[in-house]
Amino acid sequence: MWIDGFLRRLIPLIIAALISLPAAAVADAWTELTPIQQEALAPLSKGWDALPKKQQQHFIGLAKHYPKLTTVQKERLHKRLEAWSKLTPEQRKRAREKYLALSKASPEKRAQVKQMLLEQQALKAAASSVPPAIPTP
Amino acid sequence: MKTNRNEKLNTESVRQLLNRSSARLDLRTLSRLRDVRTQVLARFDARSTAPVFVLAGSGHTTGSHRNQYYFALAILLAAFLYSGATYWQHAIEHEKSEVDIAILTDDLPIDAYVD
Repeated sequence: MWIDGFLRRLIPLIIAALISLPAAAVADAWTELTPIQQEALAPLSKGWDALPKKQQQHFIGLAKHYPKLTTVQKERLHKRLEAWSKLTPEQRKRAREKYLALSKASPEKRAQVKQMLLEQQALKAAASSVPPAIPTP
Repeated sequence: MKTNRNEKLNTESVRQLLNRSSARLDLRTLSRLRDVRTQVLARFDARSTAPVFVLAGSGHTTGSHRNQYYFALAILLAAFLYSGATYWQHAIEHEKSEVDIAILTDDLPIDAYVD
């Protein structure tokens, strides 16, 4: 039966693929990252090797977007990356949810919410006597 | 012991009876019997030399073949499920990465999105 031959050829391929998977799951050390990845993730260089492997993989995924960013966006990324890496997974999840909710709103509504968020930021900063983070245009 | 002797006697007597009976058979019947025997042996040989996937030490060729077939199907199914799960995981990770880069480069600071 043809299916027997097909399965007999397929099984070694599947086994080989399963064996090679753990090797693919291992994240790179900082020195093994590409120059682009190192440039994109520069703020994380000091603590890179101490990061969990899963998080390293996630940041390597972020670095793929780096060449497409504008200069301003690259600056923002560098300023925020370290703080972002220190958030808990739950905080990052909430932040993503908020961002997605905001991005689904109409432009007017989005501008209104953004203004409100900025005001809240300013109030919080004033309360803790720390200058507010002024968004770059 | 008694039973064994009876069995032996019976076996011998049956063998003798068969020999005697076959000696009495006519040539035409003997010839037909020989033909049938040859045909059966030929059929048996053809079946025993057919290429089948037999696991070492297994007695039932058909059963082990079926088991191997189900085993292969199970592996195939597991591989499909695994690759599906991996693909799904990759898609989620990709989406997460897109949102993260958007937050990290947005005109609002990340504090605006963090509780």
